[in-house]
Amino acid sequence: MSNQGESPMQANAVVAQPVNKRFKGLWSNYNYVIIFLVIFIAFLIINGSETSWTSITNIFLHSAILGTISLGMGLVIMTGDIDLSVGSSFVFIGGLTIIIYNVTGSIFVTLLFAIAAGLLCGALNGVLVGRFKMPSFIVTLASMLIFRSVSQYMMNEMGETRYRVEAGMESYKSLFGFGNGNILTIPQLAVVFWIVAAAMIYMTTCMKFGKNIYAIGSNERAAKLAGVNVIWTRIKVFAISGALVGLAAFLKIAKDTSFDPATSGKNFELYAIASVVIGGISMSGGKGRIAGIIFGTMAFTIIDKIITALGMNALLNDTVKGLILLVAVGLQMIQKREK
Amino acid sequence: MELLKMTNISKSFFGVTVLDNVTLEVGRGEVHALIGENGAGKSTLMNILAGVHASDSGNIIFNGKELVHNSIKGAESAGIAFVHQELNIFNNLRVYENLFLGKEPVNSFGKLKKKEMISETFKLMHDLGVDIDPLELADNLDTGKKQLLEIAKTLHRDAELFILDEPTTALNNAEIKNLFEIVGRLKAIGKSFIFISHKMPEIFKISDKYTVLRNGKFIKSGNIREISPEAITRYMVGESYSNQEMYEERKLGDTILELKSFSGKGFYDVDFSIRSGEIVGFTGLQGAGSSEVLQTVFGVLEPQGGQLFVHGKEIKNNSIQNAMKNKVAMVAANRKENSILQDMTILENTYISEHTINNRQQHIFKNKEIKKYSDLKDTLNIKANSHNDPITSLSGGNQQKVILARWLNTRADIILFDNPTQGIDVGAKSEIYRLILNLSKAGKTIIINTLEIPEIQKIADRCVVFYHGRISVALKRQEINEETVMLHATNAINATGINTEVENVQSR
Repeated sequence: MSNQGESPMQANAVVAQPVNKRFKGLWSNYNYVIIFLVIFIAFLIINGSETSWTSITNIFLHSAILGTISLGMGLVIMTGDIDLSVGSSFVFIGGLTIIIYNVTGSIFVTLLFAIAAGLLCGALNGVLVGRFKMPSFIVTLASMLIFRSVSQYMMNEMGETRYRVEAGMESYKSLFGFGNGNILTIPQLAVVFWIVAAAMIYMTTCMKFGKNIYAIGSNERAAKLAGVNVIWTRIKVFAISGALVGLAAFLKIAKDTSFDPATSGKNFELYAIASVVIGGISMSGGKGRIAGIIFGTMAFTIIDKIITALGMNALLNDTVKGLILLVAVGLQMIQKREK
Repeated sequence: MELLKMTNISKSFFGVTVLDNVTLEVGRGEVHALIGENGAGKSTLMNILAGVHASDSGNIIFNGKELVHNSIKGAESAGIAFVHQELNIFNNLRVYENLFLGKEPVNSFGKLKKKEMISETFKLMHDLGVDIDPLELADNLDTGKKQLLEIAKTLHRDAELFILDEPTTALNNAEIKNLFEIVGRLKAIGKSFIFISHKMPEIFKISDKYTVLRNGKFIKSGNIREISPEAITRYMVGESYSNQEMYEERKLGDTILELKSFSGKGFYDVDFSIRSGEIVGFTGLQGAGSSEVLQTVFGVLEPQGGQLFVHGKEIKNNSIQNAMKNKVAMVAANRKENSILQDMTILENTYISEHTINNRQQHIFKNKEIKKYSDLKDTLNIKANSHNDPITSLSGGNQQKVILARWLNTRADIILFDNPTQGIDVGAKSEIYRLILNLSKAGKTIIINTLEIPEIQKIADRCVVFYHGRISVALKRQEINEETVMLHATNAINATGINTEVENVQSR
C-alpha cells in the first residue's frame, strides 16, 4: 500500500478513538439505560401506530410491584448474598394481609401490617445468614418452600382457593382507587415505586449504611476489620428486602384485591434477580447502582408487552425473557473483559 | 550468548508510559536481580515477558528465537516460568492436586495416576526441604507454606528461565535458605532466574547480575559483586534517598495499654505494657503468636484468659467496634485480603471506619469528606489523581497509606501495625517509618509487628520477641540487633547444641 493511501486512514483512526472511548465509558456506566432504550424502541416499533400514552404508563404500572421487590433483591445481591424467598413471602404476606384487612377494614393498619410482617420474614432470613453464617442460598431456598406451602395450607384449611378482599368493606373503594388511580395520568403505584426507589438510591449513595453494604459485597473480611458490623448489616439488608416485599404485597392487594397462593408471585424471585442483573448489578456483590433496577424491571416488563403485541403464545414469555437476560449479561461480560 | 535479550521494550496503559525503552539481558545459568521501587515497571516488564501483556514496541529474543505475538501459552512452551507474587493456590484442593492442576498424568482410560502424582509431590517437597504432606488440604497450610507450594508448582515445570516475583515475603529464614539452595542447584545445571525482591541481603546472597529500573526507565545493569547495597538503593530511588538516622528520643506519657497474663489463640500468659507515645516492635517467626496478640487486642480474636487494660480501664467483651470506641486501630496484615475494599473508591476506603465511629449521623457530607481527605492526602503524601478513582488503581505503598488514613480518620490513640510494609518498595517503606515516627511524636502509641528486624531497629523504642506463643525477651533500643533477636526468636538461646545450626543459617 502506498503512503498516500495510509495517511487518511490514520487520520480517521485518531478521530475515531476518543469517540469510541467516550462510548465505552458511557456503556460501562449506563449500559442498563442503553439496554432499556433498545428494548423500549423495539416495543415502540412493534406497537407502531397503536402506541399511546396509556401503553407507556402501563409499563410504569406493571413494573411497580416487581420493581419494589427487585429493589430489596438488589440490596441483598450487593452484599454478595441472594434472597430466593421473595416470591413465596410475597404470597404468604399477601394472604395474611388480606385477612387483616378483612378483619380491621383499615387501610393504614393493613399497610403497616404488610410492611411489618415482611420485615419480620426478612429479618428471620437475615439472622440465619448473618448471625449463624448459613449460606443465603440455602436459607432462603428453605424459607421459599416454607412460606408458599404455609400460605396454601392456610387457604385450604379455610376451604377457599383464593385470598380475596371483601368488597363490602367501607374503605374498599379507596383501597381499590389507590391501586388503580392516576396522578397526572401516571399510575399511583408507579409513583410509590419511584419514591421508594429514590429512597433506596439515597440510602446506597449518601448514607453510611449504604456504603457498608458495598463494603461487605466488596470484601467481607476487610469490611469486618475496618469496623463494619457485618452481622447487623446483613440482618438489616434482609429485613429491608422483606419490608419491600410486604409493601409490594400491599400494592398488589390494592391493584388486584386478591392473591392466589398457588400462582401469585410465582418465579418472582427469578424475575427480580433478572431485573437486578439487567440493571447492571454484579452477582458477586459490591458493584452496581440501585438506579439500574428501575430500568432493569421496566425492560423486563416491556418484554411481556412485546410478546402480546406480536400475538405470540404467552407460554413463550419466559423463553424470550431468558434469551434477553443472556444477551444483556453477555454484553456486560464483553465490556468487563475489554477492561 | 544470552538466554534472554529484551530490547527497547516500551509499554503504556491509557496514555501513561509504564515502560520506556527498557533493555534486559539474562545469561544462561545466571540469577539476575530485577530491582526497582513499586511502580518502576518490573511487573509490567515481566508480564510482557510471560505473555500476559503485549509490548507496544521492542523485541524479545529468547533461546535464540524471537518471541513474536507472545502469549502466556507461547511463553510457557518457550520455557519461561513465572512465580507470581499473588498466590494462585486452590484452597479446596490437596497439595498434590494443586501441583498437577491442568497437567495431571492419566492412564489410557483417562483415570488419574494418583499414586504417581503423590509420590512425585513427596519427592519434590523433600528436595525443597519443606515439610508439606502431599495429601494435606491447601487451606490448612499457612501463608509461608502456600508460597513454597506456589514456587514448587513452577519449579516442577521444565523451564529454562524462572521468574521469581518476591518469593520470600512469607517465608522464614530456614525456608528461604532451602529455596536458595534449590536455586543454586538449578543454576548449576544451566537454568536461569530473574529474581525480584526488595530485600537487599537476599539480592546480594543469590544474584550474579542486576538491572535497576526507575519510573519505567532502564537505569543500570552490571555484576552484583561490583556494587554496594547503598549504591543500588541510590539508583533505585534516585536523588531523594537519604539513609539518615530517623529515630529521635521522645518524652513518653503514662501507661496506656496493658496486658496481664493475657492468653488467646496461639499465645499464652503475655505480660506487656506500653506508654503513650511509645513505639514497640513485636517480632518472632511465623506463627509465634505476635500477630495474634494484636488481633486479640483489636477484638478480632477472642481472648482466652488474663486481663486487658486500655486507658486504665479493663476491657471485657472485646469486639472490633468496642476496640475502636476505646481508640484502638489496627492496620491489618495482608493488605489485599484484610484491608482493601477493591470495588470502592479511594475516598470510600478512607472513610469506611470513620463511618462506624460516627454512625449516629447517617448522612454523608461528601464535600466535607473530600476536604478532610485532601488534608490526609497531603500529610501522608498519597500519590493519587482523583478521590473517585478505585483504590486498586494505586500502587501498594499508596494503598497502604490510604489504609493508614482510614485509621487516622478514627482519631485512634493506639495504632497496631501488623506487617505494614509487606510488598512495599524501599522508598514507600521509609516514608511509612517516618509517618509512624511522626505519629508517635504527636502522642500516638504504636505497636508494629514485623518479621523484618531492620524495621524495628530503625524506629522502635523497645522490641518484644515472641517464641511459641510466649514472650521470649523484651529488648531495649540499645540491645536490638538482628543476631540477638534471631537467637531469641528461634529460642536458640535456651537450647545449646542448636546454636551452631542457627549460626550457620545466619552466616549464609
